[in-house]
Amino acid sequence: MPFISKDWRSPGEAWVKTQEGWEKKKVLENCKKLKHDINDETQETIDTLIQPHCHITIKCTKEIAGFNELDEAVKRLDFRSAVRDVRRFNYICALLDLLIGQQMMALSGCAQRVLIEMLEEVANHSTSSHHNPRGFKRLLNKVRALSAAERSACWGGTLGSQLLWHQHTTKIERILGNAAQMKICEPNADKTQFLHLPEECIREIILRLSDHRDLTSSSQSCKLMASIVDEQRIWRELTQFHFSPRQIELVLPKDDEKIEWKTVYHALKRTIGINEERQYAEMLSLCRYCRCLFWRSLGHPCIADQCPEFRARLQEAGGIIPPSPVPPSAFLKFFSL
Amino acid sequence: MSKIKLQSSDGETFEVEIEIAKCSVTIKTMLEDLGMDEDEEEVVPLPNVNSAILRKVIQWATYHKDDPPPPEDDENKEKRTDDISSWDADFLKVDQGTLFELILAANYLDIKGLLDVTCKTVANMIKGKAPEEIRKTFNIKNDFTASEEEQVRKENEWCEEK
Repeated sequence: MPFISKDWRSPGEAWVKTQEGWEKKKVLENCKKLKHDINDETQETIDTLIQPHCHITIKCTKEIAGFNELDEAVKRLDFRSAVRDVRRFNYICALLDLLIGQQMMALSGCAQRVLIEMLEEVANHSTSSHHNPRGFKRLLNKVRALSAAERSACWGGTLGSQLLWHQHTTKIERILGNAAQMKICEPNADKTQFLHLPEECIREIILRLSDHRDLTSSSQSCKLMASIVDEQRIWRELTQFHFSPRQIELVLPKDDEKIEWKTVYHALKRTIGINEERQYAEMLSLCRYCRCLFWRSLGHPCIADQCPEFRARLQEAGGIIPPSPVPPSAFLKFFSL
Repeated sequence: MSKIKLQSSDGETFEVEIEIAKCSVTIKTMLEDLGMDEDEEEVVPLPNVNSAILRKVIQWATYHKDDPPPPEDDENKEKRTDDISSWDADFLKVDQGTLFELILAANYLDIKGLLDVTCKTVANMIKGKAPEEIRKTFNIKNDFTASEEEQVRKENEWCEEK
Protein backbone atom coordinates (compact mmCIF):
# COMPACT_ATOMS: atom_id res chain seq x y z
CA MET A 1 0.00 0.00 0.00
CA PRO A 2 1.62 3.23 -1.04
CA PHE A 3 1.71 6.09 1.41
CA ILE A 4 -0.98 8.60 0.68
CA SER A 5 -0.93 11.90 2.51
CA LYS A 6 -3.97 13.60 3.98
CA ASP A 7 -5.02 15.04 0.72
CA TRP A 8 -3.31 13.09 -2.03
CA ARG A 9 -4.58 15.46 -4.68
CA SER A 10 -2.82 18.40 -3.09
CA PRO A 11 -0.45 20.21 -5.43
CA GLY A 12 2.58 19.61 -3.17
CA GLU A 13 4.80 22.22 -1.66
CA ALA A 14 3.88 25.82 -2.13
CA TRP A 15 6.83 27.81 -3.40
CA VAL A 16 7.35 31.50 -2.86
CA LYS A 17 9.72 33.74 -4.80
CA THR A 18 12.06 35.66 -2.51
CA GLN A 19 15.05 37.89 -3.07
CA GLU A 20 17.37 34.92 -2.78
CA GLY A 21 15.39 32.65 -5.09
CA TRP A 22 12.49 30.26 -4.72
CA GLU A 23 11.77 28.90 -1.29
CA LYS A 24 9.23 26.52 0.20
CA LYS A 25 6.43 28.31 1.95
CA LYS A 26 6.68 26.21 5.09
CA VAL A 27 10.31 27.22 5.52
CA LEU A 28 9.55 30.89 5.16
CA GLU A 29 6.70 30.88 7.63
CA ASN A 30 9.05 30.58 10.60
CA CYS A 31 11.38 33.46 10.12
CA LYS A 32 9.11 35.79 8.24
CA LYS A 33 6.68 36.29 11.05
CA LEU A 34 9.40 37.10 13.49
CA LYS A 35 10.99 39.68 11.25
CA HIS A 36 7.63 41.19 10.56
CA ASP A 37 6.98 41.40 14.24
CA ILE A 38 10.19 43.24 14.96
CA ASN A 39 9.38 45.82 12.31
CA ASP A 40 6.04 46.87 13.67
CA GLU A 41 5.63 45.61 17.18
CA THR A 42 2.50 47.60 17.79
CA GLN A 43 0.40 45.96 15.13
CA GLU A 44 1.22 42.31 15.74
CA THR A 45 -0.06 40.55 18.78
CA ILE A 46 2.16 38.15 20.62
CA ASP A 47 -0.08 35.22 19.71
CA THR A 48 1.00 35.19 16.11
CA LEU A 49 4.68 35.30 16.88
CA ILE A 50 6.53 32.12 15.97
CA GLN A 51 10.10 31.88 17.12
CA PRO A 52 12.60 30.48 14.66
CA HIS A 53 12.85 26.76 15.35
CA CYS A 54 13.51 23.61 13.42
CA HIS A 55 12.33 20.07 14.01
CA ILE A 56 15.01 17.53 13.48
CA THR A 57 15.44 13.78 13.37
CA ILE A 58 17.99 13.02 16.02
CA LYS A 59 19.21 9.53 15.17
CA CYS A 60 20.87 10.32 11.91
CA THR A 61 20.94 7.10 9.95
CA LYS A 62 21.81 6.98 6.29
CA GLU A 63 18.18 6.79 5.26
CA ILE A 64 17.08 9.63 7.47
CA ALA A 65 20.00 11.97 6.78
CA GLY A 66 18.52 13.03 3.49
CA PHE A 67 15.56 14.58 5.27
CA ASN A 68 17.62 16.74 7.60
CA GLU A 69 18.56 19.45 5.20
CA LEU A 70 21.20 21.90 6.25
CA ASP A 71 19.92 24.78 4.16
CA GLU A 72 16.44 24.36 5.52
CA ALA A 73 17.69 24.33 9.10
CA VAL A 74 19.77 27.41 8.46
CA LYS A 75 16.78 29.25 7.09
CA ARG A 76 14.33 28.05 9.68
CA LEU A 77 16.61 29.04 12.52
CA ASP A 78 17.05 32.46 10.98
CA PHE A 79 20.84 32.38 11.02
CA ARG A 80 21.12 35.43 8.83
CA SER A 81 19.63 37.85 11.30
CA ALA A 82 21.45 36.02 14.08
CA VAL A 83 24.68 37.36 12.62
CA ARG A 84 23.74 40.85 13.72
CA ASP A 85 23.01 39.76 17.28
CA VAL A 86 26.17 40.13 19.32
CA ARG A 87 25.27 37.14 21.47
CA ARG A 88 24.94 34.77 18.55
CA PHE A 89 27.65 36.12 16.26
CA ASN A 90 30.44 33.94 17.62
CA TYR A 91 28.36 30.80 17.35
CA ILE A 92 27.65 31.49 13.69
CA CYS A 93 31.34 32.18 13.07
CA ALA A 94 32.32 28.88 14.66
CA LEU A 95 29.76 27.08 12.56
CA LEU A 96 30.98 28.68 9.35
CA ASP A 97 34.52 27.92 10.38
CA LEU A 98 33.67 24.22 10.42
CA LEU A 99 31.77 24.29 7.14
CA ILE A 100 33.55 26.63 4.78
CA GLY A 101 36.51 25.23 2.92
CA GLN A 102 37.26 22.22 0.80
CA GLN A 103 34.47 20.12 2.31
CA MET A 104 31.92 22.60 1.05
CA MET A 105 32.21 21.04 -2.40
CA ALA A 106 30.29 18.03 -1.10
CA LEU A 107 27.30 20.04 0.09
CA SER A 108 24.18 20.54 -1.94
CA GLY A 109 24.00 23.60 -4.13
CA CYS A 110 21.27 25.06 -1.99
CA ALA A 111 23.31 24.69 1.18
CA GLN A 112 26.36 26.19 -0.53
CA ARG A 113 24.38 29.23 -1.51
CA VAL A 114 22.99 29.72 1.97
CA LEU A 115 26.44 29.40 3.49
CA ILE A 116 27.99 31.92 1.14
CA GLU A 117 25.15 34.31 1.91
CA MET A 118 25.75 33.90 5.62
CA LEU A 119 29.42 34.45 5.06
CA GLU A 120 28.73 37.69 3.25
CA GLU A 121 26.51 38.79 6.11
CA VAL A 122 29.31 38.04 8.59
CA ALA A 123 31.81 39.86 6.39
CA ASN A 124 29.60 42.95 6.17
CA HIS A 125 29.07 42.97 9.89
CA SER A 126 32.73 42.36 10.68
CA THR A 127 34.09 45.02 8.37
CA SER A 128 31.67 47.66 9.57
CA SER A 129 31.97 47.02 13.30
CA HIS A 130 35.47 45.50 13.58
CA HIS A 131 34.04 42.80 15.75
CA ASN A 132 36.45 39.94 16.41
CA PRO A 133 38.85 40.36 13.45
CA ARG A 134 40.79 37.22 14.42
CA GLY A 135 37.82 34.95 13.83
CA PHE A 136 37.03 36.81 10.64
CA LYS A 137 40.58 36.42 9.31
CA ARG A 138 40.39 32.69 9.90
CA LEU A 139 37.23 32.59 7.85
CA LEU A 140 38.86 34.62 5.08
CA ASN A 141 41.71 32.12 4.83
CA LYS A 142 39.19 29.34 4.42
CA VAL A 143 37.38 31.30 1.75
CA ARG A 144 40.62 31.67 -0.14
CA ALA A 145 41.10 27.92 0.08
CA LEU A 146 37.60 27.50 -1.24
CA SER A 147 38.14 29.67 -4.27
CA ALA A 148 41.41 27.85 -4.92
CA ALA A 149 39.54 24.57 -4.80
CA GLU A 150 37.11 25.88 -7.30
CA ARG A 151 39.84 26.90 -9.70
CA SER A 152 41.66 23.61 -9.45
CA ALA A 153 38.56 21.54 -10.08
CA CYS A 154 38.99 20.10 -13.54
CA TRP A 155 36.66 18.43 -15.95
CA GLY A 156 34.78 15.57 -14.31
CA GLY A 157 35.29 17.02 -10.84
CA THR A 158 32.47 17.30 -8.34
CA LEU A 159 31.82 20.93 -8.94
CA GLY A 160 28.14 20.75 -9.68
CA SER A 161 26.44 23.64 -11.38
CA GLN A 162 28.79 25.97 -13.18
CA LEU A 163 26.36 28.83 -12.96
CA LEU A 164 26.16 28.49 -9.20
CA TRP A 165 29.92 28.54 -8.90
CA HIS A 166 30.12 31.69 -10.98
CA GLN A 167 27.77 33.29 -8.49
CA HIS A 168 29.90 32.04 -5.62
CA THR A 169 33.03 33.44 -7.21
CA THR A 170 31.59 36.92 -7.59
CA LYS A 171 30.38 36.88 -4.00
CA ILE A 172 33.72 35.61 -2.69
CA GLU A 173 35.52 38.30 -4.63
CA ARG A 174 33.22 40.92 -3.17
CA ILE A 175 33.85 39.63 0.36
CA LEU A 176 37.61 39.59 -0.11
CA GLY A 177 37.51 43.05 -1.64
CA ASN A 178 35.52 44.42 1.28
CA ALA A 179 37.87 42.78 3.75
CA ALA A 180 40.90 44.31 2.08
CA GLN A 181 39.41 47.77 2.54
CA MET A 182 38.74 47.23 6.23
CA LYS A 183 40.49 49.92 8.17
CA ILE A 184 40.34 50.86 11.81
CA CYS A 185 39.60 54.54 12.22
CA GLU A 186 41.20 56.31 15.10
CA PRO A 187 38.85 57.86 17.61
CA ASN A 188 38.28 61.57 17.95
CA ALA A 189 41.24 62.95 19.91
CA ASP A 190 39.41 65.64 21.92
CA LYS A 191 36.96 63.25 23.55
CA THR A 192 37.64 61.07 26.57
CA GLN A 193 40.26 58.48 25.66
CA PHE A 194 40.84 54.92 26.78
CA LEU A 195 43.92 55.82 28.77
CA HIS A 196 42.06 58.65 30.55
CA LEU A 197 40.08 55.98 32.37
CA PRO A 198 41.28 55.27 35.91
CA GLU A 199 43.25 52.08 36.35
CA GLU A 200 40.41 50.27 38.12
CA CYS A 201 38.13 50.78 35.13
CA ILE A 202 40.72 49.44 32.70
CA ARG A 203 41.15 46.48 35.05
CA GLU A 204 37.40 45.87 34.97
CA ILE A 205 37.53 45.81 31.18
CA ILE A 206 40.48 43.43 31.07
CA LEU A 207 38.80 41.16 33.62
CA ARG A 208 36.04 40.59 31.12
CA LEU A 209 38.26 39.18 28.42
CA SER A 210 37.81 35.43 28.25
CA ASP A 211 40.53 34.52 25.77
CA HIS A 212 44.17 34.43 26.80
CA ARG A 213 45.21 35.58 23.35
CA ASP A 214 43.33 38.83 23.93
CA LEU A 215 45.11 39.28 27.24
CA THR A 216 48.46 38.70 25.57
CA SER A 217 47.85 41.19 22.80
CA SER A 218 46.54 43.85 25.17
CA SER A 219 49.63 43.43 27.32
CA GLN A 220 51.71 44.08 24.22
CA SER A 221 49.92 47.28 23.34
CA CYS A 222 51.24 49.54 26.12
CA LYS A 223 52.99 49.52 29.48
CA LEU A 224 49.94 50.30 31.60
CA MET A 225 47.98 47.41 30.13
CA ALA A 226 51.02 45.15 30.48
CA SER A 227 51.25 45.90 34.20
CA ILE A 228 47.54 45.18 34.71
CA VAL A 229 47.60 41.94 32.71
CA ASP A 230 50.58 40.82 34.80
CA GLU A 231 48.46 40.84 37.95
CA GLN A 232 47.68 37.44 39.44
CA ARG A 233 44.00 38.27 39.79
CA ILE A 234 43.47 38.50 36.03
CA TRP A 235 44.86 35.03 35.38
CA ARG A 236 43.24 33.54 38.45
CA GLU A 237 39.79 34.64 37.32
CA LEU A 238 40.47 33.49 33.79
CA THR A 239 41.42 30.04 35.11
CA GLN A 240 38.39 29.90 37.37
CA PHE A 241 36.14 30.83 34.49
CA HIS A 242 37.37 28.10 32.18
CA PHE A 243 37.98 25.26 34.64
CA SER A 244 36.17 23.73 37.58
CA PRO A 245 37.71 23.86 41.08
CA ARG A 246 38.46 20.15 40.93
CA GLN A 247 40.35 20.49 37.69
CA ILE A 248 42.33 23.39 39.09
CA GLU A 249 43.27 21.42 42.19
CA LEU A 250 45.01 18.84 40.02
CA VAL A 251 47.70 21.21 38.85
CA LEU A 252 48.09 23.46 41.89
CA PRO A 253 51.52 23.16 43.47
CA LYS A 254 51.44 20.78 46.44
CA ASP A 255 53.63 22.64 48.94
CA ASP A 256 53.46 26.26 49.92
CA GLU A 257 54.97 27.47 46.72
CA LYS A 258 53.58 30.70 45.38
CA ILE A 259 50.89 30.04 42.81
CA GLU A 260 51.67 31.42 39.38
CA TRP A 261 48.20 31.55 37.83
CA LYS A 262 49.39 32.18 34.32
CA THR A 263 51.32 28.90 34.39
CA VAL A 264 48.34 27.14 35.97
CA TYR A 265 46.09 28.36 33.18
CA HIS A 266 48.40 27.25 30.40
CA ALA A 267 48.99 23.89 32.05
CA LEU A 268 45.25 23.27 32.29
CA LYS A 269 44.65 24.46 28.77
CA ARG A 270 47.19 21.97 27.50
CA THR A 271 45.98 18.97 29.47
CA ILE A 272 42.22 19.51 29.56
CA GLY A 273 41.52 21.95 26.78
CA ILE A 274 39.06 24.80 26.63
CA ASN A 275 35.43 23.92 27.11
CA GLU A 276 33.56 24.73 23.94
CA GLU A 277 30.27 25.43 25.69
CA ARG A 278 31.62 28.28 27.77
CA GLN A 279 32.64 30.30 24.77
CA TYR A 280 29.26 31.21 23.41
CA ALA A 281 26.83 33.54 25.09
CA GLU A 282 24.00 31.95 23.20
CA MET A 283 23.78 28.49 21.74
CA LEU A 284 21.21 26.52 19.85
CA SER A 285 19.29 24.24 22.18
CA LEU A 286 17.57 20.95 21.58
CA CYS A 287 14.22 20.35 23.25
CA ARG A 288 14.00 16.77 24.52
CA TYR A 289 10.27 16.51 23.96
CA CYS A 290 9.53 17.98 20.58
CA ARG A 291 12.94 17.24 19.02
CA CYS A 292 13.25 20.79 18.00
CA LEU A 293 16.27 23.06 17.64
CA PHE A 294 15.84 26.64 18.80
CA TRP A 295 17.67 29.69 20.14
CA ARG A 296 17.64 29.70 23.91
CA SER A 297 16.84 33.37 24.34
CA LEU A 298 13.97 33.28 21.85
CA GLY A 299 12.33 30.05 22.98
CA HIS A 300 10.16 27.78 20.84
CA PRO A 301 6.58 26.54 20.66
CA CYS A 302 6.90 23.37 22.72
CA ILE A 303 4.34 20.57 23.06
CA ALA A 304 5.05 20.50 26.78
CA ASP A 305 3.82 24.10 27.01
CA GLN A 306 0.78 23.67 24.82
CA CYS A 307 -0.65 20.56 26.42
CA PRO A 308 -1.16 20.68 30.20
CA GLU A 309 -1.82 16.94 30.44
CA PHE A 310 1.48 16.12 28.85
CA ARG A 311 3.15 18.55 31.19
CA ALA A 312 1.54 16.93 34.21
CA ARG A 313 2.71 13.49 33.05
CA LEU A 314 6.21 14.83 32.68
CA GLN A 315 6.15 16.20 36.21
CA GLU A 316 5.10 12.78 37.46
CA ALA A 317 7.87 11.09 35.54
CA GLY A 318 10.48 13.05 37.42
CA GLY A 319 10.25 16.63 36.36
CA ILE A 320 10.87 18.42 33.11
CA ILE A 321 14.33 17.99 31.66
CA PRO A 322 15.76 21.29 30.46
CA PRO A 323 16.75 21.50 26.78
CA SER A 324 20.31 20.51 26.06
CA PRO A 325 22.77 22.94 24.46
CA VAL A 326 24.05 22.15 20.99
CA PRO A 327 27.60 23.34 20.26
CA PRO A 328 28.49 23.92 16.58
CA SER A 329 30.18 20.54 16.12
CA ALA A 330 27.13 18.73 17.51
CA PHE A 331 24.83 20.74 15.28
CA LEU A 332 26.61 19.51 12.18
CA LYS A 333 26.27 15.88 13.26
CA PHE A 334 22.54 16.05 12.56
CA PHE A 335 23.26 16.32 8.86
CA SER A 336 24.93 14.02 6.42
CA LEU A 337 28.05 15.98 5.61
CA MET B 1 5.89 57.35 43.62
CA SER B 2 8.11 59.92 45.27
CA LYS B 3 10.65 61.71 43.15
CA ILE B 4 14.11 63.09 43.62
CA LYS B 5 16.03 65.77 41.78
CA LEU B 6 19.51 65.10 40.41
CA GLN B 7 21.72 67.94 39.24
CA SER B 8 24.42 67.38 36.64
CA SER B 9 27.78 69.16 36.56
CA ASP B 10 26.51 71.73 34.06
CA GLY B 11 23.55 72.66 36.22
CA GLU B 12 20.67 70.82 34.59
CA THR B 13 18.29 69.11 36.99
CA PHE B 14 16.54 65.81 36.31
CA GLU B 15 13.53 64.56 38.21
CA VAL B 16 13.63 60.80 38.72
CA GLU B 17 11.74 58.29 40.79
CA ILE B 18 13.61 57.43 43.96
CA GLU B 19 13.55 53.73 43.18
CA ILE B 20 15.32 54.35 39.88
CA ALA B 21 17.87 56.69 41.43
CA LYS B 22 18.63 54.08 44.06
CA CYS B 23 20.12 51.66 41.56
CA SER B 24 23.15 53.87 42.01
CA VAL B 25 24.73 52.72 45.26
CA THR B 26 26.35 56.13 45.66
CA ILE B 27 23.01 57.93 45.63
CA LYS B 28 21.42 55.24 47.78
CA THR B 29 23.98 55.53 50.57
CA MET B 30 23.92 59.30 50.25
CA LEU B 31 20.18 59.30 50.86
CA GLU B 32 20.46 56.85 53.75
CA ASP B 33 23.30 58.73 55.41
CA LEU B 34 21.58 62.07 55.11
CA GLY B 35 18.26 60.54 56.13
CA MET B 36 16.35 62.56 53.61
CA ASP B 37 12.62 62.70 54.05
CA GLU B 38 10.35 61.62 51.26
CA ASP B 39 8.62 64.93 50.82
CA GLU B 40 11.67 67.13 51.06
CA GLU B 41 12.51 69.14 47.96
CA GLU B 42 16.20 68.36 47.97
CA VAL B 43 18.50 68.46 44.97
CA VAL B 44 21.34 65.93 44.80
CA PRO B 45 24.37 67.44 43.04
CA LEU B 46 26.44 65.09 40.89
CA PRO B 47 29.54 67.15 40.05
CA ASN B 48 31.25 64.37 38.09
CA VAL B 49 28.52 63.71 35.52
CA ASN B 50 27.43 66.06 32.76
CA SER B 51 23.85 66.32 31.60
CA ALA B 52 24.24 64.34 28.36
CA ILE B 53 25.71 61.37 30.20
CA LEU B 54 23.31 61.65 33.14
CA ARG B 55 20.41 61.56 30.72
CA LYS B 56 21.72 58.32 29.26
CA VAL B 57 22.36 56.82 32.68
CA ILE B 58 18.80 57.60 33.75
CA GLN B 59 17.50 56.11 30.51
CA TRP B 60 19.43 52.91 31.22
CA ALA B 61 18.32 52.76 34.84
CA THR B 62 14.69 53.31 33.91
CA TYR B 63 14.77 50.43 31.46
CA HIS B 64 16.48 48.10 33.93
CA LYS B 65 14.61 49.10 37.08
CA ASP B 66 12.78 45.77 37.34
CA ASP B 67 15.84 43.58 36.76
CA PRO B 68 16.59 41.03 39.47
CA PRO B 69 19.57 42.04 41.61
CA PRO B 70 22.89 40.63 40.35
CA PRO B 71 24.39 37.65 42.20
CA GLU B 72 26.66 38.63 45.06
CA ASP B 73 29.84 36.65 44.48
CA ASP B 74 32.39 38.86 42.86
CA GLU B 75 34.90 36.21 41.94
CA ASN B 76 32.98 34.12 39.45
CA LYS B 77 31.24 36.74 37.43
CA GLU B 78 30.45 36.13 33.82
CA LYS B 79 33.31 36.64 31.47
CA ARG B 80 31.45 36.21 28.24
CA THR B 81 31.96 39.56 26.61
CA ASP B 82 29.24 39.02 24.04
CA ASP B 83 26.54 38.33 26.58
CA ILE B 84 24.89 41.72 26.09
CA SER B 85 21.14 41.97 25.68
CA SER B 86 20.00 43.46 22.41
CA TRP B 87 18.52 46.52 24.10
CA ASP B 88 21.83 47.25 25.80
CA ALA B 89 23.73 46.63 22.58
CA ASP B 90 21.59 49.22 20.81
CA PHE B 91 21.81 51.58 23.76
CA LEU B 92 25.60 51.43 23.66
CA LYS B 93 25.95 52.14 19.95
CA VAL B 94 27.62 55.45 20.76
CA ASP B 95 31.01 56.95 20.03
CA GLN B 96 33.99 55.90 22.11
CA GLY B 97 34.12 59.12 24.11
CA THR B 98 30.54 58.71 25.30
CA LEU B 99 31.16 55.05 26.08
CA PHE B 100 34.15 55.87 28.27
CA GLU B 101 32.26 58.65 30.01
CA LEU B 102 29.47 56.19 30.72
CA ILE B 103 32.06 53.89 32.32
CA LEU B 104 33.31 56.77 34.44
CA ALA B 105 29.78 57.71 35.46
CA ALA B 106 28.84 54.09 36.26
CA ASN B 107 32.01 53.80 38.32
CA TYR B 108 31.35 57.05 40.20
CA LEU B 109 27.66 56.37 40.75
CA ASP B 110 28.44 52.72 41.52
CA ILE B 111 25.91 51.13 39.17
CA LYS B 112 27.12 47.56 38.78
CA GLY B 113 24.97 46.52 35.85
CA LEU B 114 25.84 49.54 33.73
CA LEU B 115 29.55 49.21 34.53
CA ASP B 116 29.40 45.55 33.56
CA VAL B 117 27.73 46.08 30.23
CA THR B 118 29.88 49.06 29.24
CA CYS B 119 33.08 47.22 30.17
CA LYS B 120 31.91 44.23 28.15
CA THR B 121 31.36 46.49 25.16
CA VAL B 122 34.90 47.86 25.40
CA ALA B 123 36.27 44.33 25.94
CA ASN B 124 34.48 43.35 22.74
CA MET B 125 36.45 46.04 20.95
CA ILE B 126 39.69 44.46 22.19
CA LYS B 127 38.63 40.93 21.34
CA GLY B 128 40.43 39.26 18.49
CA LYS B 129 42.69 42.20 17.74
CA ALA B 130 46.46 42.29 17.39
CA PRO B 131 48.43 44.70 19.65
CA GLU B 132 48.86 47.17 16.80
CA GLU B 133 45.12 47.11 16.07
CA ILE B 134 44.29 47.67 19.74
CA ARG B 135 46.58 50.70 19.81
CA LYS B 136 44.90 52.07 16.73
CA THR B 137 41.38 51.45 18.03
CA PHE B 138 41.98 53.35 21.25
CA ASN B 139 44.58 55.82 20.03
CA ILE B 140 47.21 54.43 22.40
CA LYS B 141 50.85 55.36 21.96
CA ASN B 142 53.34 52.52 21.87
CA ASP B 143 55.54 53.25 24.90
CA PHE B 144 57.70 50.14 24.62
CA THR B 145 61.24 50.41 23.33
CA ALA B 146 62.13 47.97 20.57
CA SER B 147 64.06 45.72 22.93
CA GLU B 148 61.27 45.71 25.52
CA GLU B 149 58.77 44.85 22.85
CA GLU B 150 60.90 41.94 21.72
CA GLN B 151 61.23 40.70 25.28
CA VAL B 152 57.48 40.80 25.99
CA ARG B 153 56.78 39.03 22.73
CA LYS B 154 59.29 36.27 23.49
CA GLU B 155 57.94 35.82 27.00
CA ASN B 156 54.44 35.31 25.65
CA GLU B 157 55.55 32.95 22.92
CA TRP B 158 57.25 30.84 25.54
CA CYS B 159 54.02 30.66 27.48
CA GLU B 160 52.05 29.59 24.43
CA GLU B 161 54.39 26.77 23.51
CA LYS B 162 55.00 25.42 26.98
